[in-house]
Amino acid sequence: MLRKFGMAALTAAAALHAAPAIAADMPKKGGTLVMITSQDPRHFNPAVQSGIATMGPGAHIFASLVRADAKWNIKPYLATSWTTSADGKSVTFKLRKNAKFSDGKPITSADVKFSIEIQKANHPFKTSLGAVTGVEAPDAHTVVVRLKHPHPALLLAMSTSIVPIIPKHVYGDGQNPKTHPRNSKNVVSSGAYILKEYKRGRHILLERNPNYFLKGRPYMDRIVYRIIRDSSSQVIAMERGEGNLAPYMAEVASIVRLKKSDKLVVTDQGYAGIGPVTWLAFNTKEGPTADVRVRRAIAYAIDRKFITEQLHRGVSTAATGPIVPGSPFYTKEVETYELDLKKAEALLDEAGHKKKADGTRLELTIDYIPFGPDVQQRIAEYARSALKKIGIKITVRNSPDFPTWARRISTWQFQMTMDLPFNWGDPVIGVHRSYLCNNVKKVIWSNTQQYCNREVDKILEAAGKETDQAKRRALYVKFQQILARDLPVYWIAVLPFHTAYDKNLGNPPLTIWGVISSMDDIYWKKQPK
Amino acid sequence: MTAPTPAVPAEEPVVIEVERPWREAWRMFRRNTAAVAGLVTLSLIVLVTVLGPFVYPVDPFAPTGPLLLPPGEQGFLLGTDQQGRDLVVGLLYGSQSTLMVGAAAAAITITIGILFGALAGFYRGWIEEVLMRITEFFQVLPPLLLAMVVVLLFSPSIYSISIAIGVVSWTSTARLVRAEFLRLRELDFVKAERAIGARNARIIWTIILPNAAPPLIVSAALSVGVAILFEAGLAFLQLSDPNVMSWGYLISVNRPQILEAWWPVTFPGLAIFITVLSVSLIGDGLNDAFNPKLRQR
Repeated sequence: MLRKFGMAALTAAAALHAAPAIAADMPKKGGTLVMITSQDPRHFNPAVQSGIATMGPGAHIFASLVRADAKWNIKPYLATSWTTSADGKSVTFKLRKNAKFSDGKPITSADVKFSIEIQKANHPFKTSLGAVTGVEAPDAHTVVVRLKHPHPALLLAMSTSIVPIIPKHVYGDGQNPKTHPRNSKNVVSSGAYILKEYKRGRHILLERNPNYFLKGRPYMDRIVYRIIRDSSSQVIAMERGEGNLAPYMAEVASIVRLKKSDKLVVTDQGYAGIGPVTWLAFNTKEGPTADVRVRRAIAYAIDRKFITEQLHRGVSTAATGPIVPGSPFYTKEVETYELDLKKAEALLDEAGHKKKADGTRLELTIDYIPFGPDVQQRIAEYARSALKKIGIKITVRNSPDFPTWARRISTWQFQMTMDLPFNWGDPVIGVHRSYLCNNVKKVIWSNTQQYCNREVDKILEAAGKETDQAKRRALYVKFQQILARDLPVYWIAVLPFHTAYDKNLGNPPLTIWGVISSMDDIYWKKQPK
Repeated sequence: MTAPTPAVPAEEPVVIEVERPWREAWRMFRRNTAAVAGLVTLSLIVLVTVLGPFVYPVDPFAPTGPLLLPPGEQGFLLGTDQQGRDLVVGLLYGSQSTLMVGAAAAAITITIGILFGALAGFYRGWIEEVLMRITEFFQVLPPLLLAMVVVLLFSPSIYSISIAIGVVSWTSTARLVRAEFLRLRELDFVKAERAIGARNARIIWTIILPNAAPPLIVSAALSVGVAILFEAGLAFLQLSDPNVMSWGYLISVNRPQILEAWWPVTFPGLAIFITVLSVSLIGDGLNDAFNPKLRQR
């Protein structure tokens, strides 16, 4: 009954977002939004630092050129309009004329040029602006981005705090932007909020930026991030109303429990952009998993349905390929490896792994990242039981800490590992890296599977430059079909990221970027007591 | 002629009770009902641990039912955990590693403790200085922290966990053994042994050590309990062997669900509680059994 209510609320929330006109009652100004987060940010400058902890507050402090809605449409933000040249090799942005930083200095094309250059030089997502060859600022409110080749991912990368607009007069003083003191103190904002106070391990306090360039926004006076590490404590804080919005909840038990609350809405909307997948990666160069038949046998024996419906109690969805289901490039027309133990055993026989007297055929190890147990350790342990049924004896290798796991994987000293890379919006940013031949590197979250298929390389290269959306999609569909056949990794589930929020909140963050894009439109329909 | 040699029935009580010390200890032990209850409980646990897997041969990690089923439903006596695993099976198989770690860690504790304590107490001088400074060094380190470091160093497995627990908890045994040796080495029977030319090794291992045994046995029994708690503590911190079922592991993986399901945490917790309690009661009984002051009662 209660659970039903949760579902109804979820659909209602989705409907609300699909038709923004429904917000007949005008957004009201004022109030404080308390968000719950589990991580401390290193600092607040997302131009040089990836990760949700920095990108979340960073998106409130720094505006981006454009933003995205819930349907992957790009909307104006600091830029009012943009045009792509016929050859696709340059994009011209027109900026708002009245825009100012929080210290009163105008936001001009020089700042945009500076921001793009700093991001390109320092941000870990090299491919996000990798195609950019130069930025020109013909006048104070026009920016031209020159590209090596057409780069359809450009606007998506610029629609969140992956490419924030930072003040040149602060960060252009020659200091290393990665360690710049103003990354965490006296931060000058271009966005809706300014950083008022940060107490490590306790809270981040953001206050309305009076110089914000969108008149009348933001609606909230303050946004407070309360840092609570323990997920049970997060749940209790939300139930008591001490928190109004808890994003990135990934623990199944917490999600299931909060869905029962009648004061909250719990939704999985807001994560299509980052596209988080948990998967089982294979070492495709060494050991038994170098044989695609072994990889397929393993895929047939691991039941995704059990994982999403039982282990995750219905709060996650199955991932069937390298691109997440929320993406416009996703296709389900691929080999999906429905549970079939007979097929799995036949494949192992064919690969020469005959059943021995004790019922085993071969032994393999599975590593996992030592956090987020629901999407890592639990799945590895389930896989051990599942693979035992087809005669594969699995040893689950525990890594005491993240560096140990990262060292094993990045030096290719593994047979199979659980992993959870993100898609990051456009496939060029988050997907290509895991499958390209030239990205077979001893670096974590590169192509550590050491998978290499020249045909895939060609398709990805073409898709990265294709500006025609339909043609681009066709290329990615083909890519997904080949990958599902070659199976360098077995994609298991989209992480059960959920946002829980007070049902009196208007305009909750349900766009593709959720809480890592500006929330200048969130408001209280009814102020909490 | 047969002079009636007067029998001395009246003097009968003069016959000295020559009960063998171990038998006497057992008699004393039996007088402690709590200790006997502990012994019975522990024996039952050991029996179930040894026989269980033969009677019920299944994969303890395999999900066999719906998730988080309350106790008693659908034939699951103690319910299921967050992966749909039968808790009865989990407890049954978990006791293996729990008891094994307990025993192995206690064995390591005692071995190192005796070695350090005996050598230090017997030889004294610089040997004692060195050994006792090492003991103190280990004594001032926080045991849980040190155990975590050791486990992390070798990556969690049932062996590394036993070693880690042994390595952090031997110091009190060493001090105990040393004190006993200091006391015994000055006694006449030891001096007599030395006078007839016994070698040091013989004096240490066959003369003094058996006489130091009673407090050692008590300390060994108690250290089994401590080791079991330690293992559970490490597992709670996710430092358990993921390939071996243990009670601490069950508690650690089911903890996030505690707000909605109490049973997957409570039953392994109770199992640990009962085991440690019975081990402690036995230790208590042993203490009584070897305490000469109680014999006159």
